[in-house]
Amino acid sequence: MTTKTIKRWLFLHRWSSLICTLFLLMLCLTGLPLIFADEIDGWLNPHPPYENLPANTPMANLDSIVHITRNRYPHEVLTFLFIDDDEPQIIANLSSSWKEFMQPHSDSTHYIRFDARTAKVLEDADAKTAGKRTFIRIMLDLHRGLFMDLPGELFLALMGALFGLALVSGIFIYSPFMKKMDFGTIRKDRSRRLKWLDLHNLLGIVTLAWMLIVGLTGIMNEVSTPLFGIWQATDVKAMLEPYKNIPVPTPEELHSVQAAFDTAQRAVPDMTITSLVFPGSPFGSPRHYLLWSHGNSTLRSRLFNPVLVDGRTGALSAVVKMPWYLRALEISRPLHFGDYGGMPLKIIWTILDLLTIVVLISGLYLWWARRKLPDHV
Amino acid sequence: MSERWRMPLLLALLIVFGLLAALLGTGIWHVLSWLALSTPLIVLYRKIWRASSKSRHHF
Repeated sequence: MTTKTIKRWLFLHRWSSLICTLFLLMLCLTGLPLIFADEIDGWLNPHPPYENLPANTPMANLDSIVHITRNRYPHEVLTFLFIDDDEPQIIANLSSSWKEFMQPHSDSTHYIRFDARTAKVLEDADAKTAGKRTFIRIMLDLHRGLFMDLPGELFLALMGALFGLALVSGIFIYSPFMKKMDFGTIRKDRSRRLKWLDLHNLLGIVTLAWMLIVGLTGIMNEVSTPLFGIWQATDVKAMLEPYKNIPVPTPEELHSVQAAFDTAQRAVPDMTITSLVFPGSPFGSPRHYLLWSHGNSTLRSRLFNPVLVDGRTGALSAVVKMPWYLRALEISRPLHFGDYGGMPLKIIWTILDLLTIVVLISGLYLWWARRKLPDHV
Repeated sequence: MSERWRMPLLLALLIVFGLLAALLGTGIWHVLSWLALSTPLIVLYRKIWRASSKSRHHF
């Protein structure tokens, strides 16, 4: 590489990282507790233990869960059921209207938590409890979009892209900066700046693959709202086109929820259904139940399959095929979160996150210390 | 390929293997993933520890 090319990569490395460093530091810091989100949430907001029932106890009838929910809140909209595949609970979500449901921080959205086996109400959370800003939720809102929802998410996606650029340009200047030294040499005895330069290079090049993958999958997550929007405006719209002249069913006209669940389960026998979206939802269809299922084997469990069931007749309408960009998003999610390989993986994730912080801060220091030096590479 | 690049490339491959092994497999694959992902950390620890112990000797 000529000196001119090296200078060009160095310029790119310096400025792409300087612009994104503060935001990346925020992401690394808020990301730390998010690695252990389940543990921290369980510890800060413990649920009373579940009733002890045999492991093969069948699931309660969904119609009775819907019935109890509608009786308690007859004037509200039942938006969706969450059927947990981790704990024996079913959560019925409510809102005063579909319009209210679409508000990011609506104060009318609440839920009832049921025991999945007995349909016993475990918790009837009012809007205040449901919207409670727990520690993990604050960290998540900050991490995902600086408390600004979509604009914040897109901004952080841009910062992620700059981070990616900083990593790639870093690869190109790694070699010239290492001069003729062996891998891992740290010149401890010459100057503080040289010691930190060597540490920055060593930490950066060793963790590079991880930083690149977590960075890219982070960008994927940040653009998930527009990606789902594209899918709804194209594929979903085309799929619902044949039904558009059929009148929208009223809640009284809706077919049995349990029957819709059974129909969907028969259509995807190898999948686990984890949620049921009621007709009328802007995230679903005006005339269909939308059921989300995922596979049971490790790779397939990352892939979700939506099933549409006619809201009035209970007939199967479609098993939806997800487009490639949403498949890519589904695969990216765990790779960003690091929560898919047990506690040891989470601990490794934490160490790599801390090392990234060292790379960021040492980079900032190197830029600062270099400003005082005569101009040389 | 120069010596300087061989180690980073090997570690990058181990990281990619570790991330995918935990994602696509269970049981033994999780253990392999932890081992693969620990390797870069151990390499870093040894390089940095050796550098600091050497300089302590120096002073």
